[in-house]
Amino acid sequence: MSFKIQLPCYQPLPLPQISVHSPPCHQKANHHHHINGHDPIPPPCPHLADFRSRNGTKPFHLFQNCLRIKPPHGRASIRRDPSEVPRCGACGVSSAPRIYACVTCAAISCHAPPEPSHAAAHAAAMAPGHEISVDVDRAELFCCACRDYVYDRDFDAAVVLSSKANYIHSNVNSDNLRKKRRIVEYRPWLPDIHERVLVNNNSSVLSFVEDRPWGLRGLNNLGNTCFMNSVLQALLHTPPLRNYFLSDKHNRYYCQQQKKSGNDNGVVGGKRSNGGDGNGGKGLRLCLACDMDAMFSAVFSGELVPYSPAKFLYSWWQHAANLASYEQQDAHEFFISMLDGIHEKVEKDRHKPHSLGHGDCCIAHRVFSGILRSDVMCTACGFTSTTYDPCVDISLDLEPYQGSSAKSVSLKTHSCNGEADCKNSSQNGGISTLIGCLDRFTRPERLGSDQKFFCQQCQVRQESLKQMSIRKLPLVSCFHIKRFEHSSIRKMSRKVDRYLQFPFSLDMAPYLSSSILRSRFGNRVFPFDGDETDASNEMSSEFELFAVVTHTGKLDAGHYVTYLRLSNQWYKCDDSWITRVNENIVRSAQGYMMFYVQKMLYYKAGEKQVAQ
Amino acid sequence: MSVSNEDNLSPHMQLSSHFFGDLLDSIIVDVASECHRIARLGLDRNLEEEEEELRLSAQARVTVADPSNSGETNGKYVVDIFGQTHPSVANEVFDCMNCGRPIVAGRFAPHLEKCMGKGRKARVKATRSSTAAQNRYSRGSPVSPYSPYTNSTSTNRLSNGTYSHTVEEYSNGTCEEP
Repeated sequence: MSFKIQLPCYQPLPLPQISVHSPPCHQKANHHHHINGHDPIPPPCPHLADFRSRNGTKPFHLFQNCLRIKPPHGRASIRRDPSEVPRCGACGVSSAPRIYACVTCAAISCHAPPEPSHAAAHAAAMAPGHEISVDVDRAELFCCACRDYVYDRDFDAAVVLSSKANYIHSNVNSDNLRKKRRIVEYRPWLPDIHERVLVNNNSSVLSFVEDRPWGLRGLNNLGNTCFMNSVLQALLHTPPLRNYFLSDKHNRYYCQQQKKSGNDNGVVGGKRSNGGDGNGGKGLRLCLACDMDAMFSAVFSGELVPYSPAKFLYSWWQHAANLASYEQQDAHEFFISMLDGIHEKVEKDRHKPHSLGHGDCCIAHRVFSGILRSDVMCTACGFTSTTYDPCVDISLDLEPYQGSSAKSVSLKTHSCNGEADCKNSSQNGGISTLIGCLDRFTRPERLGSDQKFFCQQCQVRQESLKQMSIRKLPLVSCFHIKRFEHSSIRKMSRKVDRYLQFPFSLDMAPYLSSSILRSRFGNRVFPFDGDETDASNEMSSEFELFAVVTHTGKLDAGHYVTYLRLSNQWYKCDDSWITRVNENIVRSAQGYMMFYVQKMLYYKAGEKQVAQ
Repeated sequence: MSVSNEDNLSPHMQLSSHFFGDLLDSIIVDVASECHRIARLGLDRNLEEEEEELRLSAQARVTVADPSNSGETNGKYVVDIFGQTHPSVANEVFDCMNCGRPIVAGRFAPHLEKCMGKGRKARVKATRSSTAAQNRYSRGSPVSPYSPYTNSTSTNRLSNGTYSHTVEEYSNGTCEEP
């Protein structure tokens, strides 16, 4: 795991806004990531360039009047009036699969290889300036001289605009969401002589063991607490979380002091804080972030004897009284509950309403929170209702392997016509994959006739398509695989013990709202909803696996173990035991929660420093 | 868009097969044009990398399943990476934050449940001493037998096998309030 931010960088110095490009482990052909607004449009062919330089973009805008689109989100076609039947001017054929209209003179000709191309003949006869034509059934530009489809931003914009004009979209005011990002080269920081003196005088030096990564320390099982240990190990090595705590952003002594004084002044009203669970630990205020801080100190102290996260368990039980039971615990539930605990305390102490969705309220949400977008589209008129929901992880259904991913791509592009049948015969021995789960998660799904939604445009209940996508990627993505199945009919639960393949390197680009929306509009090049493309351009969609929480055994008797990747070596954290493992063990493990971190980090200019 | 053997067919059949051919051709061009756009604009997924990950995982599973080169000595550890060995029940002793009594780490959770008056059994026998509680819950195995699923509290971690794609389902991981 390459994480370029070295710990000493975290000084409260007025650092310039930096953009950290940590080198991805293996440089892959970055062929479809348009970070920083790269133009996805390939350079135009000479004929299209020539056409544009002579006519500008006006001819493309004029197309808006002849574009016919079958709702919702159907294929765009070109007809001057709705009943027009385009016929080839040379042979009179109207049924050929490819009929082109010359963009310059509107002459219609067919192109049906291996028959002689009348379109090409038209271009040759009238040349120059008649090479560019438009496919009347697909609203795509075609160069008759190059005999190839060509793509143009302004033409695509015209298609999307006329398609959008058909329906009202729940619009987000995109302008104030736009933020300009200034990129400054990453510069490593080294303390100068004065700073070094300052550092030396005010800190105790840790003994540094070279051959082991920092922070590996076993956690004692306190009696069925492997659910907690497994998640804690993952969190202790979540790079942004680790950097936050190790750089003293949440100092427990300071925090407790503040709270105490706050308490005396009666400023911090203990709304639910100790919940009547006793004395709150000898006058200390309950704060899970303080307990995390203590744990980070202990784990990164260089001590090798396993650590007992007893205080943390105690605080967490105080926080989540309903889960305070020694017997039945779920690692995922613990994860959600403790992030919530960190959030709640910080929130309460700040007296400020923060928007959770933007994830800058507390460290838990700044690291883990993303935003999901859910579109419900009326199948009659295409009206789309959009909602955004913050999330700290993504829970995925365990689904059978859906065949090769090429198949899922084509499913996606046809999504406008409703969900294609996804019960493809499973290849590859019916292996489920994380990518397959994500494909299912984001594919459009027809809501049943019993779940009709009220369409604001039709003013009646209509059948609808629902589609999820990711509006904002979290810094660290946690995927939770729903392995615990509950059947309400048979009144029983069971654990699904099926293997799920997960990649070490994951590209989330296909699941972003910008990608989903683009494919919904026939992959036209257009800044959908203004802010959508912006959001995706600013974030890297490449993720890298760094922790896997696994569950072995049955529903009522099982064990959680975490695999951690540190300095490109995998370690197995099984309560107090930490052992080195081969990556094959990890790849074949039965993942329950997978933690991925963004490979590249961007720092936004103008974003305020965390005040602590 | 050629239809063969037209001679043997009735004019009606010829016509319908002609239409069928046209429709089929048109659909093929639709798909081709979509794919062309995706490829030209670089919107296709990195299938090579996905395939490679799949291949590595499949290979890993074969390797791990093979007992001759098992990377792990079936769950039994000899020493950890620090050369240490650990008892099946952690024997560190510290004082309970709640009652101040010294407790063995490996029995802390059952003690604390009692001590804080939590859990189902605790309420029944809340008056018992913590020492008694320790003994009752003591187990020899380092492996934790526990249920990751409770019937009592939340249903949000359970997947309901039948309705897997509803809105509610995906709000699973979301935080409750902004």
